[in-house]
Amino acid sequence: MNIRNSSNQIRLGLGVVLAIVGLIFTLVNQMNWFWFMGGAWVGLLIWQPTHWVLVSYSIISVYPILRVVSISLRPTSNLLSRSLAIIPPDATFQSYVSLFLEEKFLLWIWNSFSITMVVSSVGVIVASTGAYAFSRWRFPGRRPALIFLLTTQMIPAGMLIIPIFVIVAQLQLTNNIIGLMLAYIATAIPFSIWILKGYYDTIPPDLEEAAMVDGCNRLESFWRIILPLSTPALSIVFLFNFLGSWSEFIVAKVILQANSTQTWPLGFNEMIGTFNTDWGKYAAGSVIVTIPVLLLFLWQSRYLISGLTLGSVKG
Amino acid sequence: MEFSGLDLNTVIQTLTKILPILVGVLVGSLVLQFALYQFLSKVVKTKHALPYTLLAPAAIAIVAFLIYPLGYNVLLAFSDLKRSTFPCYSPVAIGECELTHLYGLDYGFENFRDVFFRVRDGEILGWGRLLRTADSTFPILLQRTALWTGLNVIFHFTIGLGLALLMNQKIRFKAIYRSLIVLPWAIPSVITALTWKQEFHAQYGFVNVMISSFGGQPISWLDDPVLAFVAVVFVNVWLGVPFYMVMLLGGLQSIPADFYEAAHIDGANARQSFWAITLPMLRPIIIPAVTLDVIWTFNKLDIIFIISGGGPQEKTNILVSALFNAAFGPSATQQLGFAAAFSIVIFFILFIFAVVWITSSGGLKEVYDR
Repeated sequence: MNIRNSSNQIRLGLGVVLAIVGLIFTLVNQMNWFWFMGGAWVGLLIWQPTHWVLVSYSIISVYPILRVVSISLRPTSNLLSRSLAIIPPDATFQSYVSLFLEEKFLLWIWNSFSITMVVSSVGVIVASTGAYAFSRWRFPGRRPALIFLLTTQMIPAGMLIIPIFVIVAQLQLTNNIIGLMLAYIATAIPFSIWILKGYYDTIPPDLEEAAMVDGCNRLESFWRIILPLSTPALSIVFLFNFLGSWSEFIVAKVILQANSTQTWPLGFNEMIGTFNTDWGKYAAGSVIVTIPVLLLFLWQSRYLISGLTLGSVKG
Repeated sequence: MEFSGLDLNTVIQTLTKILPILVGVLVGSLVLQFALYQFLSKVVKTKHALPYTLLAPAAIAIVAFLIYPLGYNVLLAFSDLKRSTFPCYSPVAIGECELTHLYGLDYGFENFRDVFFRVRDGEILGWGRLLRTADSTFPILLQRTALWTGLNVIFHFTIGLGLALLMNQKIRFKAIYRSLIVLPWAIPSVITALTWKQEFHAQYGFVNVMISSFGGQPISWLDDPVLAFVAVVFVNVWLGVPFYMVMLLGGLQSIPADFYEAAHIDGANARQSFWAITLPMLRPIIIPAVTLDVIWTFNKLDIIFIISGGGPQEKTNILVSALFNAAFGPSATQQLGFAAAFSIVIFFILFIFAVVWITSSGGLKEVYDR
């Protein structure tokens, strides 16, 4: 124990020395913080290998995201700078302003938002009762139906996009957000049923039986007991459908072509075509679009994950 | 009054479109359920009236939005639908239609044959070209898809498991690491793909800026087939690790500590208890996670489509991106009938794989056995 402690202190000492050496190099080399960060990084490797791995991987996962924030803050004149600084020295919100003034950003957001709300609501309404039937009754056709729902997860996107593209064209719904909603609902419902069934399975049937002893019928007990108990699962399903169609790109690209009915992924895709002033606007838009999703995700992540595992693993 | 493309008129217009849909779905499904229940319990007198009633809205939606399009896709596979014949297949025939019949076994035969073989005058010349270049033949794409899926799943799993094992120790800042590592999962994947595409840019992307700041030569990632493939695999690995880390960490935390103590008392070292306790106990998490990941990765279209577009020279296409390019790509002639046949072939490859894998591993069994 004593030996371990002392070797720990030696490693800590070495790590600190390396960080200080890095700092000195930084001071010598015109405040180039690369040296300090490099020294501290190697120092951490020697002192705490576990933390070293976790810190390194955290950097890998966060850095590209911080880069977007950084680019969104650059002034137009400096957009193509090769600097790696996260907060540019001459940071401005210029890109954010021009995103709203020069692009149809709000229209894109509104289109995406209305599509997403309809798809998520319809998914929840339709799946809530269907999943309950799958969870509580054994009826002829149940097993094949469940296997079918599982199989739909294997359908390549193209296999649905092709017929839906043709059908939407035949119904003359191209460039209409309703055409896009039809396509999204098709993929949202099986997944919603799957997750909700997993959740209902964890609610003991005794609850409804008790309610039925007290004089409720089957539907009343579903309405009064199961649905209120399932609010977390219902909101997860809503969220899943929301996240799924909010940022969908491929199907939208096929069905929507006119400028007036774009969703934000399509608009963003046009903005990054070339390296010009649009890159800053793209970055600004990404930050705006991502922040609410990120907050929702972090806030709900515990439930999101339990929702996912409930669907696939015995809870 | 318009701001940023949006004015009051547009808002009202959209609302008048979507509110009737929402109300219609809600009221419609209630009315339908009531009527169906009356019919099933009073007329047909089945004891399963209630579950069938509850299922009805979902069943109708699935038939209308999923089964009908899938069935129509099969029909399209037996058609000669492409850009030039598109008017023939729309209800309002625009201009002259050159086809004698819209659907037929002969079209289907040709479509399915063309997926595999290139035929001229009844003679097989070789593997069929799914896109324009000779690099887009079925066996090459299948190989690349297998490589893509294999690399992704292996990296997802090993990195995810490694991180989960590290995070399962008693260490400080666990919550912070967890939130940071999960971030790529939370970002909308379009933004991920578009951003990484920029970051692989030869001059301004940070990947090359970093390489040159360490004294290396900048690499034009997306102009070289192999490097472009490395880039898309890298992005998809980056994107998929959090899912595994979270799932496996959850699994690790549910393994009782007594097991490890007992193994320790019996003289097992860390490696032995990893193989004898950790992996077997994680099996119920690993198998469904890997199954889902294989299916998702096999079908993963957006990363490749956005970052490399399948290029350069169609050399980073996998099956699903080749399918998309054949149907809607800028270069192809939008041969939708052929693409429909191709999509059915792809589906069956994945389906057969999944059936073999699921029955042999017992994964996902719990889902429908309960």
